[in-house]
Amino acid sequence: MNEDALRNLNGAVQLVLPEIVLLATVCVMFLAAPFLVSDRGEAPAGLRHRWGWLSLVALAMAGWLWWNSGLAPRTTGPFVSDGLTLFVRGLTIVSGAILVLLHWNQADDSRSAESHACLLAILAGVNLVAAANDLVMLFVALELVSIPTYLFLLLPRRDAPAQEATLKYFLLSIFSSAIVLFGFSYLYGATGTTNLTAIHHAFAHHAFAAGEDLPHNPLVAVATVMLIAGLGFRLTAVPFHFYAPDVFQGAPTSAAAMLSFVPKVVGFVALLRLLVPATGSASTMHAWMMTPAATPLLWWLAVATMFVGNLMALMQTDVRRLLAFSSVSHAGYMLVGLVVGMQASQTVSGIGALLFYLVVYGAMTLGAFAVLIAAARSDKRIESLDDLAGLSRTKPALALMLSVFLFSLTGLPPTAGFLGKFNLFVAAWSQGFEWSEGFDSSRWLACLLGVNAALGAWYYLKLIGVMYLRDPVDRSEDVRPMEVPSLVAAVLCLAATVGLFFAPGALWTYVQTLVS
Amino acid sequence: MPSLFVVMIFLPAAAAALLLLLDAKAPPVRARWTALLATLATCLVSLAVASQFLALPETHPNERGPVHPRMEVRQVWLDVAQAGPSSPAVKLEFYLGLDGISLAMVLLTTILSISAVLVSWTSVRERSAEFYASLLILETGLIGVFCAFDLLLFYVFFEFTLIPLFFMVGIWGGPLRRYAAGKFFIYTLAGSVITLLGLIWLVIESYRLALATGHPLATPFAIPDLARFLAENPLPAELQAALFLMIAAGFMVKVPLFPFHTWLPLAHVEAPTAGSVMLAGVLLKLGTYGFLRLCLPMLPHACEHTGLPLIAALSVVGIIYGSFCALAQNDIKKLVAYSSVAHLGFCMLGIFALNTEGISGGVLQMINHGLSTGALFCIVGMFYERYHTRQLSDLGGLAGKLPILAVAMVFTSFASIGLPGLNGFVGEVLSLIGMFKRDPIYAVLGASGVVLGAWYLLGVLQKAFFGPLQEPHHGHEPISDLNAREVATLAPLLVLCVWLGLFPQPTLDLIRPDVEAITKLYAEVRAVRIAPTAMNDQQTQKPGEPSVNTAAADNESAPADATKPAVSGEGRP
Repeated sequence: MNEDALRNLNGAVQLVLPEIVLLATVCVMFLAAPFLVSDRGEAPAGLRHRWGWLSLVALAMAGWLWWNSGLAPRTTGPFVSDGLTLFVRGLTIVSGAILVLLHWNQADDSRSAESHACLLAILAGVNLVAAANDLVMLFVALELVSIPTYLFLLLPRRDAPAQEATLKYFLLSIFSSAIVLFGFSYLYGATGTTNLTAIHHAFAHHAFAAGEDLPHNPLVAVATVMLIAGLGFRLTAVPFHFYAPDVFQGAPTSAAAMLSFVPKVVGFVALLRLLVPATGSASTMHAWMMTPAATPLLWWLAVATMFVGNLMALMQTDVRRLLAFSSVSHAGYMLVGLVVGMQASQTVSGIGALLFYLVVYGAMTLGAFAVLIAAARSDKRIESLDDLAGLSRTKPALALMLSVFLFSLTGLPPTAGFLGKFNLFVAAWSQGFEWSEGFDSSRWLACLLGVNAALGAWYYLKLIGVMYLRDPVDRSEDVRPMEVPSLVAAVLCLAATVGLFFAPGALWTYVQTLVS
Repeated sequence: MPSLFVVMIFLPAAAAALLLLLDAKAPPVRARWTALLATLATCLVSLAVASQFLALPETHPNERGPVHPRMEVRQVWLDVAQAGPSSPAVKLEFYLGLDGISLAMVLLTTILSISAVLVSWTSVRERSAEFYASLLILETGLIGVFCAFDLLLFYVFFEFTLIPLFFMVGIWGGPLRRYAAGKFFIYTLAGSVITLLGLIWLVIESYRLALATGHPLATPFAIPDLARFLAENPLPAELQAALFLMIAAGFMVKVPLFPFHTWLPLAHVEAPTAGSVMLAGVLLKLGTYGFLRLCLPMLPHACEHTGLPLIAALSVVGIIYGSFCALAQNDIKKLVAYSSVAHLGFCMLGIFALNTEGISGGVLQMINHGLSTGALFCIVGMFYERYHTRQLSDLGGLAGKLPILAVAMVFTSFASIGLPGLNGFVGEVLSLIGMFKRDPIYAVLGASGVVLGAWYLLGVLQKAFFGPLQEPHHGHEPISDLNAREVATLAPLLVLCVWLGLFPQPTLDLIRPDVEAITKLYAEVRAVRIAPTAMNDQQTQKPGEPSVNTAAADNESAPADATKPAVSGEGRP
């Protein structure tokens, strides 16, 4: 037994090679950067390009390792390498490259190294969340995402709004981490182990063999509520979303882009690992709920998140706040997938729909932020709606790209956003479960999702209207050079958004195999 | 050679891409010539496709389902089964096809697009490349809707048409354009989201039913396959009713039927002329076409028992209400917009008569309304370009000053009113005859709309064209009559109005097999409903009441020749 555990521990390194590459690059950057900057904080011009390229190379290496890695049997070691791990790893590496491109010119030369390093550390943290097979490891990975995020929010621009945004994020993030830890401790108390595989085993067998019904154990109920609350912060699920608009507004645009996507990946993957252990496992394990309380809780969370996100977004006049609330509402859509996916497996999987939507959402939201970065004027970022006025006259190609992303966020064809919503509709409608008599909650969810899709159209359309139907406010010539990296990122996202509509087969098949 | 008809769908979009990507700053001259050539080419291709279509042999009625495209191209879009053994063996497809009804609508679209380009020739001066690109993209979307034979693909094109029209109204429209574009977009989108949910529900229930009967459906999203399956294995009645209401929601907004019509006058008034032409001419038909393509063949029981009373009542209210609203207008464009509400009421009345005369009349009315209202909007646009006003109170006695325009206006108004010998007559009469057979009350009430229609349109003619000359005094250049381009804009539409009025038979023959395949379904629905009760009720049935049994029997024998006497007898004055 001990030898076995030892071998598992030793073998674990093999399972996280891409993350080791990323973290090694982080160390190199942190160590080397101070030597290239003078005492007064001045760096040779153009140094940021070198750090950007280094990040891309590191991501490419991690990608190569990812491509050559395979599934590993589930053990009691600290890491797993199953379908979900590989899926998330691929997603982070691709979206990480796009984020590096977005961040390219956001930090000045002297602070570029540290902020790029933080970004890579965050990406490694996301991968480790997906690879964690132990509550302790899971918590460490979650913190590996959180702590560099504070720096990432602050480093590029150290003005008052950025400080305020960072402080807000910092305090709430600490609070949510504490709640998650609290939940973990109850889970440990109920099962007597921190190993996820062992916990799953305990649930699967204890519940049916012995008389004790583990899912109904009050300790587990407390743990579930705490975990959902703590991870809800990362999803920006209502009522844990309060920080989002302020932070999006105050933080640099690339950091807002990162926040709109990466924490959602983290939150959903962690929830999937804890609540739906069958996801992505090579072995066939029963899909189970941790506790009956989870479903109604998540149901209400999804409904509140969709409605609050969309209704609040209707009232915004600041583009970044608007996108913040839009990201809240999309978290609600994805929660719909999670809720219906947690039920006994049906013909169309809600989890599959959720994972598909996650990819699509990444492409369209990062694309939208990429356009915002590329469209910024030399003296001013894109902040209020007025800054976008008449963009179709001044920068027609950018306006066209942004409208494609916005139509995709609305869920209109021919964009991938349409197929994403369509999958959620199908999953929710085909599930048909009832948790109280005569109340078909998943179909209600589908209907509410439909209402929200129509609500959302209003503010996305408002943005498009501002770009196309209004005249530019500031007509002076802009001398700023082309923002090439974020343009490249926008084009990549555009290709994904449109491409996934016409050829969704590969991704669809892949995410479905993760849950079956 | 099916590839030609794929070319037809995407040719306008390709031209639009050319305009936008290669030549975004093109001078108006180049942009409009490109657009004109593209629409002309599309029209020629569609005529070639039509000749190919007519050369194909007709499928025997017993070998086809209720929906049966004579030409088709299928390409797998998403094969769900690949995901693993537990996934349903279902495919989504890029399934494009053509049957008689869709061919007629495609031809209408390609012809109206030419007029739409010509009518914007001088009125659109700024951002013309983008304008024509939107118009061409809209054309692709519209042709796509009519050619889509996969449920999801249908919905994709259906939704997609919103985007170019939103820009057309929002950028090149009148003073309230932004509000109008937003309202139009949100209103129709909200309706069609419900439709999407309904369609998903329909597919899921059919798929489950198919699994239960032991013949799983590999392509439940393909409209012909689904319709054929549902014709043999109808869904339960209550489910059909619920599905009908959900699916109809989006189409009722699009048509628009009475309580959902408020977006239409606003959008019409604010849209540029070409936008109004396409909106009235083709976009509204997407709603009626949706009913015809999705509701009628798939949910016969619900159409018969829920749809007929509901839609007929709403249509009648729409006819009368729309006509009275039109009577009250001072703005000619708004008047024409409200007349659309009334005319589409006739169309729906015909379709929901659910017999061969009614549906044929409804389809014909779709084409007629496209031609005559399209021409009316063109004329209103030409008017506005000259006088910069559309107010009836500013105008009078223009027939002397603008004789050709006056002739065109009188002619188009008569076509729209339904004067015998012109196209409107055939469609209205067939629709009303169809409805009369089902429920005389709706038909009689609807017929009153014909009188009201004559009232408001003749009122316009009298006020604006005859009587003492009255012109707005300022704000316009010297007035000249129609030039060659404007004549070319109107001529094809007017020629078609006469041709369809005098010789409706070729069009009726074109759509007949598809219409009869649908009505065959309804003969069965009525027979099934009556069969058990007729036995018990034989004593209680009063001799004066028309027996429904005979009506059903009538209908079964009727399809083959029902349209011919109705038309040849009354179509020619």
